[in-house]
Amino acid sequence: MERRTFIQGLAALGVAGALPLSLSRAFAADIANPVSVDTLPKLKGALTLYLGRGEGGLYENVLQAIQKKNPDLDLAIRRGPTAALANTIVAEAKAGVKRADLFWAVDSGAIGLVTDAGLAKPMPSDLSAQLQPQFRYDEWAPVTGRIRTLPFNTERLTKEQIPTSIMEIADSDLSIGWAPAYASFQSFVTAMRILEGDDKTAKWLKKVQKRSKTYAGELGVVMGVERGEVDIGFANHYYTLRLKSGKPDAKLDLAFTEQDAGCLVNASGILSLSDDPLATNFMRYLLSVEVQSYLASEAYEIPLVNDIKQPDGLPKLTSISPPKIDLTQLADLRPTIDLMRSSGVL
Amino acid sequence: MRIPPSYPMALLAALVTLTPIFVLITLASDASSFFDSHNLTILGNTLSLMGLTVLGSILIGVPLAFISAYVQLPFKKFWLVVFAAPLAIPSYIGAFTLYAAFGPGGEIHNILGFETPSMYGLTGAAIVMTLYTFPFVMMTTRSSLLSLDASMVNAARTLGMSMTQSVFEVILPRVVNGIAAGSLLVALYTLSDFGTPAMMRLDTFTRVIYVEYNAFELSRAAMLSMQLMVIVGFLLMIESQIKTASERQGRPLILFPKKWQLGAMFATFAPILLLAIGLPLAVFTLWLVRDGFSSFDFSIAWHSTYASAIAAIVTVIVAIPVAHAALTGKAGKVMERVTYFGFGIPGIVMGTALVYGGLQLPFLYQTLGLLIIAYMLRFLPLAVGSVRTSTEHLDPSLVKSARVLGASPREAFTRITLPLTMRGIIAGAALVFLESMRELEATLLLGPTGFETLSTYLWRVYEAGYFGRAAIPGLLLVVISAAALAIMMSGEKRNQFEH
Repeated sequence: MERRTFIQGLAALGVAGALPLSLSRAFAADIANPVSVDTLPKLKGALTLYLGRGEGGLYENVLQAIQKKNPDLDLAIRRGPTAALANTIVAEAKAGVKRADLFWAVDSGAIGLVTDAGLAKPMPSDLSAQLQPQFRYDEWAPVTGRIRTLPFNTERLTKEQIPTSIMEIADSDLSIGWAPAYASFQSFVTAMRILEGDDKTAKWLKKVQKRSKTYAGELGVVMGVERGEVDIGFANHYYTLRLKSGKPDAKLDLAFTEQDAGCLVNASGILSLSDDPLATNFMRYLLSVEVQSYLASEAYEIPLVNDIKQPDGLPKLTSISPPKIDLTQLADLRPTIDLMRSSGVL
Repeated sequence: MRIPPSYPMALLAALVTLTPIFVLITLASDASSFFDSHNLTILGNTLSLMGLTVLGSILIGVPLAFISAYVQLPFKKFWLVVFAAPLAIPSYIGAFTLYAAFGPGGEIHNILGFETPSMYGLTGAAIVMTLYTFPFVMMTTRSSLLSLDASMVNAARTLGMSMTQSVFEVILPRVVNGIAAGSLLVALYTLSDFGTPAMMRLDTFTRVIYVEYNAFELSRAAMLSMQLMVIVGFLLMIESQIKTASERQGRPLILFPKKWQLGAMFATFAPILLLAIGLPLAVFTLWLVRDGFSSFDFSIAWHSTYASAIAAIVTVIVAIPVAHAALTGKAGKVMERVTYFGFGIPGIVMGTALVYGGLQLPFLYQTLGLLIIAYMLRFLPLAVGSVRTSTEHLDPSLVKSARVLGASPREAFTRITLPLTMRGIIAGAALVFLESMRELEATLLLGPTGFETLSTYLWRVYEAGYFGRAAIPGLLLVVISAAALAIMMSGEKRNQFEH
């Protein structure tokens, strides 16, 4: 019950407050029941999906299962870093080239980049109705949620030794692992910019950089922490849970900051770039009971559809206090990238 | 004046090679600043990596060249193949497996129980790059060593020089050009490699260009690419100054080592070769045993193979007129040199330029055709070099006799020149195939949607951290590369092996 309370608590904390669409619906309580894949329309025809990289094999397994269930679906997948694909979609639109029908991003910031360019098609309302009220949007569907965390090496540190403020981490003497090129990290920096301002963020980046090791992705960060290459890392929650599920004696645990960008709750999401109903029908599969449950149990991601069991192993969530921030603001990625670049981080 | 028939085609190839550079100039002109202080760090990292790799390759490659050329070893041919074998392993596979094997919690620690230092940063990248590039120095040095006449050394020894002295004072000064030629190849390879510095977390030009590209800052990516091209240009200029010594060939030197000397050689070089070849294969085998045959889609291997095969054929077809133009006249020589720029353009730069170009030409954008054009532009010089060498050795009087006997130029070409240079052509094609198979960044950026190759699959697996899934594609890539390397080396038999 604690978990449910937490997720619903998010709404109260302001995620919902900034979303005009969701507000009216959220409190009208038109919560639709989750849908099973067996009741969904069969997919027939060709679709091109741009898939933001970062989730390894688990999203692939979902896509394979959908294809298996729909033998007449001809699904082409282009993989790349989420931010790169978002930028590609915008550049393609500018050049008058259209290739993607769907964009599944690991991060809502990249989604915002595409929706801001006016390229996303509206969501059918019955589809959004399946989502928890605070996660409903006009032009895209969040697929799963994730929390920013501080994985730490339990041989080197105890939880008490870790500052509970993300800003204080910069002044600590901890060695840090990070993946600045990873989309979720960039969204976290965007959140920090919004909450603390550009100057403080730039100073924070520069200070942290002095004691940090760069990894290609956040699973790398978590592995680096576990190997003792660094004391702590910055990563989404599920990497730690996945690593611990495969290696129960891992010298690894999760710490959280309080009410700042360090424990931002973000979402992966999908949007349609095509008027073909096939694209939205494809999205229905991702919000089905089966896919949501799979992603929760196997990938340790937080399902956002109503009435789906939360992942095992998430620490006591009542103790976590995510910052008040509107996910759509995280689309303001360009100044973040400029800031990271001018600080010498990228 | 009559224009040689090979000129128009060679000119076209040269112009096409230059188009990515024009695209880069256009893109870079939008950049806000040409240079900032962070660029100095990148420049420093890039040059340090290049310098250390060249040094390392010389330290390993030259002695191995000496051993394989002069020392009477049991199973001589076998050893030569072993010395060249690291070429069959793309350096990023080496980086991948060395990173996973070393360090606390690495595979060596897991299995043997003792901790080894982590492999990353400048040191890690330089070690990996050295392990996979020294064969370049070994091959070029070896072929210059074989062209020397042993009587010089014998004369020096008769006059009282020790063997060591004569190595340093008689032999080495005469093979400096061979060493330099190999070193330049190593330097170019290091400059253009992306996977190794990325996996070793070292900010070199290629890695930073990739980051800029991913932020779709094409102008910044182009600006950094231009800076990288300046270094490449310098290297190519130096390369054109190096002339292979033309010494009258004589009997090569043969040395019979004592038992302890053999032992010492083995003790020195066995660890290096084990690290370069044994470790990646062992790590992949370990992962295969641990994770079992997880579902690997073999069509990925097929993608890699056919795209590379098409690239090899197309490239050789373009290379033949360019090579002939280079041998017919000064203008042709210039055109040939221009195409060399392609090899210096890293895949990431070529990819960036062609993505932009492709967006202007939607019928090419994200097609296999564009990817093959990228491969062709990058690896054309390799094919040209191979074809030209084999054509150079062709006795021109043969073609003249055919012409005198009434053959048309076309007939003389198809019946005399082509068959006699076939070996060089096949070796060139094999080399292009080998390089296309392992090419990573251009494939990532330019491949058609859904078109996954062994190299892009390996990159994906690496980024996601699912190392175990790299085993099958990694081994496949090594095996297919080894086959291409074998074809290439047998094509070069005459120059390299049968002395």
